[in-house]
Amino acid sequence: MFDRLFDAALLDSVVRATVPILLAALGGLICERAGIFQISLEGTMLVGAFTAVSVSYATGNAYVGVLAAMIAGALVSLLLAYGCVTRRGDPIVIGIAINLLAVGVTGFLLPQFFDVRGVFQSPKIIGLHRYAIPGLSEIPVIGPTLFRMAVPAYIAFALVPALWVVLFRTPLGLRLRGVGERPGAAATRGVPVVRYQYLAVVASGVLAGLAGAQLSLGNVVQFAENMSAGRGWIAVVAVLLGRAHPYGVLAACALFGVAEGLGFRLQGNGLAVQITDALPWVVTLVALLLARKQFSRLIDLTGRAT
Amino acid sequence: MRERLAQLDVRRRAFDAVASPVGASIVLAILVAGVVITVSGANPFTAYSEMWSGAVTGNGPRTLINRAIPIVGLGLAVSIPFRTGIINIGIEGSMVVGGFAASIVAINLEAPGIVVMIAACLAGAGAGAFWSLLPALAQTELQLPILISGLLLNEPARALTSYLTKNYFADPAATSTSTRQIPIPARIPSVGWVLDASATLFVVLGLVVLIALFNNRTAPGYQNFISGLNLRFSRYGGVNSKRQIVASMVVGGAIAGVVGAHLVLGQAFRFVDGDLAGTGFAWTGLLVCLLAANRAVPILVAGVLFAGLQVGGLAMQRNAGVSSQLAQVIQAVLILALAMRVIIIRRRNRPVPAEVR
Repeated sequence: MFDRLFDAALLDSVVRATVPILLAALGGLICERAGIFQISLEGTMLVGAFTAVSVSYATGNAYVGVLAAMIAGALVSLLLAYGCVTRRGDPIVIGIAINLLAVGVTGFLLPQFFDVRGVFQSPKIIGLHRYAIPGLSEIPVIGPTLFRMAVPAYIAFALVPALWVVLFRTPLGLRLRGVGERPGAAATRGVPVVRYQYLAVVASGVLAGLAGAQLSLGNVVQFAENMSAGRGWIAVVAVLLGRAHPYGVLAACALFGVAEGLGFRLQGNGLAVQITDALPWVVTLVALLLARKQFSRLIDLTGRAT
Repeated sequence: MRERLAQLDVRRRAFDAVASPVGASIVLAILVAGVVITVSGANPFTAYSEMWSGAVTGNGPRTLINRAIPIVGLGLAVSIPFRTGIINIGIEGSMVVGGFAASIVAINLEAPGIVVMIAACLAGAGAGAFWSLLPALAQTELQLPILISGLLLNEPARALTSYLTKNYFADPAATSTSTRQIPIPARIPSVGWVLDASATLFVVLGLVVLIALFNNRTAPGYQNFISGLNLRFSRYGGVNSKRQIVASMVVGGAIAGVVGAHLVLGQAFRFVDGDLAGTGFAWTGLLVCLLAANRAVPILVAGVLFAGLQVGGLAMQRNAGVSSQLAQVIQAVLILALAMRVIIIRRRNRPVPAEVR
């Protein structure tokens, strides 16, 4: 049983499931550190996926598509930044509205641009190439998966230690955390609070856009309506579960990746599709309950302390 | 007194996020969507006129009422916990399990039609209440916020009902995963003198009145309002916040369960896997509740407005070739504009915290 479950193909589907969530979650982490509750990752990702496919189709170049997706993500996130930093609106309400707006806009433009409903596939959409790192990709089992990935996946895994260094070993990170924890104190020390928060939100938009591009040009080469399918929400939970720490968030994302990859594999072994569909959500819930941390700040934000 | 207390709002919750002029936001949403139509290469004036005539002429009004029923119902379901300050995005799960439970009772109970109908709706209410009780207890007992746990329980609700339907209650004759048809006597009838709309209309109207009275004329309704404004203050005044969370979530879940029962007994006449979640009514209900700032009668008005947008959107798609998803764009932009308080005429008693400026 186990040797049939755990092999290189399983690792491959785990990585495929992990990367988009990780990219989005790292964006969420930056926002969380800057004191902004970012729940529009889902919609930003969807816009990124749509933009990546559209631009790749139009230009015939996957990387122009990826770049466009990142820009689109940044633009979407500016809505959140303006709404909740400048206008001081409710981040949860704005986030939910952005998510629904993304579903509406992409669902609206899909038939208008490409004259299809549901799923858009075309040989003219150029997908992302997977690059092998010479030498490392020869390692048995993990090599062909971990060292033969598309560019966004390398970026995702490289960002984890990079973000740790920036957050905890540079003045920039110190100021960003200051802005999130004590905006008043940070302002007193001369930190431009509003600018930092804008930067954090836009960075999360860029990363969520990149996550979307990985989804629609890396994992598959097509756009489907609502194809982010809850991954952005899982990323939000990963930030909580990983306590907004880069390595914690990586671990949380890997947990969901394993749940999804394993579910995918178990489905092949005859387990009901409904059970494997629910698996990532149930695993998330159980992990949150086991972590049993005090979500007091969030409960306060979402309405009430108990 | 209430005005005085409203000024005590220190946390700038969604309540006053939606307190800016609604009319101006609606105009803005229509303008933005007009730009979107133009960008996509269609004529916004043709599109909007098709939308309008689709909602008010021919079969439009009847479809509109039938669509407003679940939207208003779910708006009310969201509004009850929302008034105490809880954003519940898990209402979809309650609707799905409610619809499933109702279909099982309606198919298997041997009794006169009206008895089956009522029993099925009660089963829907019970199942919906139970599904909302889970996140409520997760917050009160385990400090896991309802916003998160409610959301995480939506997909398991769909998967669970799908699994049960497929393995225990499937109709072998159906092409999709669905239960057998509800027997005709147990179906919720249409009522001729209200444009042939579903009889559930009266249940929803009754709920609007009841909830309006509860909110404005009873002590617990007032306590909910105060907790939504300022939790610590309300607790200081002796409000039991745990009981309040659980009670408001259970009532909201029960209403969502009844909406699920209505969709099965009054529209589809069977439980079809994925259909209830696929409507997106739960999200529309949340938007309606935001637009109406949690007040029952405005939820009715906003629900009719959004139902009209969606029904008109479908007509626009048929006749003007513009995708009906435009309705969703308008809805989302409208709420975005409100939440951002883009249009502010005056801003009293709301000092901007100096430390951030």
